Order: sequence, then structure tokens, then C-alpha cells
Amino acid sequence: MTQDQMATDEATRSNGRSDVALDQLSFDDAFAELQRVVAELEAGGQQLEASIVLYERGVALHERCSRLLADAELRVKRLVERAGGALEALDVAPDEAIEPPEG
Amino acid sequence: MTSNREPPDWALPAWDSVETAAPSYVARSRVPAPPGTFGLTILAVSDVTRAVREAVRGDDRLRDVWVEGEVGRVTISSAGHGYFTLKDDRSQLSCVWFRDDRLASAFEPQSGLRVVAHGRVDVFDSQGVYQLYVTDLQPAGFGDLALKFEALKARLAAEGLFDRARKRPLPERPATVAVVTSPTGAVWHDIGTVLRRRWPLTQVVLSPCLVQGDGAAQSVARALGRVERWVDRLQASGHPEQAPAVTILARGGGSLEDLWAFNDERVVRAVVAHRLPVVSGVGHETDVTLADFAADVRAPTPSAAAELVVPDRHAFVAALAGASSALETRVSRHLGAAELALRVERRALDRLRPSAQLAQARERAGVLLDRATRSAVSLLVDRRRGEERLRARLDPIAPARIASAHSAVAAHGAALAVLGPQATLDRGYAIVRRSRDARIVRDPVDTPGGERLRIRVARGELGAVAQGDGADASDAPHRTQS
Repeated sequence: MTQDQMATDEATRSNGRSDVALDQLSFDDAFAELQRVVAELEAGGQQLEASIVLYERGVALHERCSRLLADAELRVKRLVERAGGALEALDVAPDEAIEPPEG
Repeated sequence: MTSNREPPDWALPAWDSVETAAPSYVARSRVPAPPGTFGLTILAVSDVTRAVREAVRGDDRLRDVWVEGEVGRVTISSAGHGYFTLKDDRSQLSCVWFRDDRLASAFEPQSGLRVVAHGRVDVFDSQGVYQLYVTDLQPAGFGDLALKFEALKARLAAEGLFDRARKRPLPERPATVAVVTSPTGAVWHDIGTVLRRRWPLTQVVLSPCLVQGDGAAQSVARALGRVERWVDRLQASGHPEQAPAVTILARGGGSLEDLWAFNDERVVRAVVAHRLPVVSGVGHETDVTLADFAADVRAPTPSAAAELVVPDRHAFVAALAGASSALETRVSRHLGAAELALRVERRALDRLRPSAQLAQARERAGVLLDRATRSAVSLLVDRRRGEERLRARLDPIAPARIASAHSAVAAHGAALAVLGPQATLDRGYAIVRRSRDARIVRDPVDTPGGERLRIRVARGELGAVAQGDGADASDAPHRTQS
């Protein structure tokens, strides 16, 4: 681990934020954290180093959000009612024909 | 033979006959000219048909008509087009219902039924007939449906089911969108397309149902219920984040009859009671159903419903970029402030440098000298000005003062003259001095006998010798002085 990374991690921890790897973040988590980062920076009052760390985290979160949005594939499911009323959601491939329901 | 070809030569009247005949306007007005004669236009059948067709097409009343009548003979062609007549007690009207429109409708014309047909009147050239080109066909009593619609709407509205206060806000970015519609047809496909384009992060769950015909209303209500049960299922199994957050209720366009299931009280109540916010997209923009009134948001079309439930990712990315640049300004402002503070410190340091201090001292001295010079000069100037002012005031006063001094001197001279000895001498007194020292004699003891005296009277001096002291002698000065 380099000096810089340690410094970054230190700063991240000191801001009470989990240092979850960006690649693991869901869109909603990344976006929520981005909003927090922006709000925190806007509130001000950090040390200069801390604000730079925050800023870099914000930029990385922004990139994560943008990438997720660009790469996403719509997942399509269909609810099927089994005998006895149990529900099941089956995956539907794009443009797959679906049988009309009975009744 | 066509009308615009010239008649053959043999058909032309002889010149003389033209000459002798009555004037042409008389002949034309009275006697029908034989075919082919000059001045007449002979129309082809297609010309007539075209003229009729143009007249029909140009008539606004025939362009978009609702016609009620009884269905006569019905024929379905091998291509799938429906041909039938509409009758009333005086006339009949040929009708054509093309395959696509016919198959899109649940209703089939049957001989003897009273129906309302919607379409346009046009002329079918090759058979020379005008007919109604039907787009929609509904059983008569359509007016009854409209009445029923209004009555139900009023009753449910009175119950408060359509109140604005009941409307729930839509989630901002639903993780899952439930769609209640028919799995066949364009609507389901269109919704998928819109969601894929705008916000592919979401998941779509179709709860299929019938959207028209018998049982459609129950089917829609059941499909809505199925969505709720699915939400329960996911929450129970610990995946509430995957549960649908909003439901789209959609159906393509159609006649009031086609859309009737969406005016069904059971559907309206299922929409109102639905646990998730409902966005309705039923029919075309002009179609309004009671389900639309009941929904939390009414979208004009199914595609519009899909657009309403998710953000547009392109706009979102743009907004993200905005947030990111806000971050940048924030940090650069922070950096800028630090830089500014640094510069201030640097300036302080520079001030404290010895050479700078020297320079400053020199500068300060220079300033002091300057100030001193300035104040001295101004003092001088002030004083000179003061003197000038004084002189200006003195100038008129001095001669007067001098004149008065002269007169005062003269007065004093007069006073002196009064006080001087001459006036006393003139009055008869004398001044006695000792000759040896010119002292004025004020006491006889000063003049021993034989003392030589000088006596000054008004008009001159005379000498005398004292006779010595003694009592009688002491009277003499008294006498002389009194």
C-alpha cells in the first residue's frame, strides 16, 4: 500500500465513511454517497487535505454512477401464478413472446 | 371514343348551315345539340366518377361520420375485409370494414344488429359506388355506455375515490416497475423500449392480464393484486429492495367499448386500493377512463406512462456532471482560499525582512520630513496671510491714530504749559536758588547769613544776599512763598 493510499484511507475513515471498493457499489449506494460528498463539501469546514480526498472520492463516485447508467441492461421478468396461487417471477428475454394469461 | 378528341370531319355541319342557323346561343338554349357538336364536353365514366368522388371527399360532413343503422347482409372476403350494408327504413348504405380494423375490434357485425359505425364516406371508383369506410363498429346503445360512464364516475367521485388528496407521489428512481397490461400487442413492447432507453437500471415485472372483452375487468384487478402479493413475497424473503415501487396500468387505444374494462368499478377500486402508486396509460391521449381518474398519475399513452416512472439517464448524467462540477468549484475555492492565506503570510514575511524594514524606516522618515516641511510651509503661509489681513485692517486706522496723537500732544503741551513755573512766576511768585549750587531754597536753614542767592521772577533774575537765620528771617521765605 502506498503512502497516498494510506493517507486516502485514513481520511476516508476519519470522515466516518466505509471504504467499500467502488466497483462493488450499487448505483443507489454510489449515488447516495455522491450526494453526501457534495453536501459535505458544500457545508465546508474541512481541512484542505480532507476536502481534496472528498473531492476525489466524489469524482470516482460520479464516474461509477455514469458507468453503471451507460452499461445497464433492462431486466425483464414476468409474474406467473402457479397452481395453489404461488407466485414466481420468470426472466423474459428481450422481445420474447409471452403467452397471454388464461382467464 | 373520348370527349377531348375532335369530332370527325363528316360530323361537322356545313358552313352554310352554320350561317343560316339561328344564332348559336339560341340553338344551344332551346335544342339539345347532338353528341359531338362543337361547344359540348363529353365526359368519360371515370370523369363522372372522379367528379362525384371529389364532391364527396370535399364535403366535411362526410369525412368523419358516426352512422347508426341496422346491419343487412354481411360478407367477409377471403382477404379478411368485411362488407355489409347499414339500413334504416328509407335507405341503405354500403359499408367496408378493412381487415386490420376489423381484427382489432372485438365486435363482429351480424345481420339484424343495430350498430353505430364510425368512418368516412368515399367513392369506390371501379364499381361506381359510394360507401362507408368503417374504422370502428360498436353495438348501438353507445350513448347508453356514455351515460353509464358518467353515472359511475359521479358515484365514485362522490365517494372521494378520485380526490386529489389521495394521489401519491411517484418514487424518484424505482428499482422495479410493475406493469399490468396484455403481454400481446404493442403496448408491452413499447413500455419495455422506453424503460430500456431511459433507465435500464430498473427491473420490469409484467403482471399480465386481459385488457378487453369478458372478464377483462376481473383480470386487471387480479393482475394488480398479483403485484401486491409479489411485493409481500419479496419483503418476506428479505429482498424488499427488489420489490416494485410503482405500477403502470396500460392498454392501447380503442373504442369506448374496447376500453370499457377500465371503466369497471372493480378496476377503479383495485387501482384506488393498490399498495403502490399507479400510473395509468390507457388508450390514446383523448381517451379518458375511470381508471385514469383513479390512478395517482394519468399518462396520455402507455409510452408516456413509462416515461413518467423513470428519469432519463442522459439528463441524469448531465445533472451528475453538474454535481461533479459543483464539487470542483467547492474544492478549488477551498484551494483558492488556502492559496490566498499563503499569499497573505508571504506578504507578512516580506514586510519583516530587514532590508524591507530599513526601506520602510526610510520611507517613514521621508514621510515625516515631508509632513514637517508641509506643516512648516503651511504655517508660514498662514502667518503671512494673517499679517496681510492685519495690515489690511490697520491701513485705514493708522493716519487717524496719528492725527489724534498730534492733537493729544498739543493738549498735553497746553497742560504742561499750565503746570510749568512760568505761569506761577507770571502770577508774582519767585524761585530762590543758592548761587553756589543753584539749589532751590525751601528752608531758611539752607541759607546761612551771607549766602548769595539768585531770585527768579517772571521777567528775569536778580541777585540777593541772605541776612542769616532767625525767627524774623524765617518768616521771609514763608512770605515769599505764600
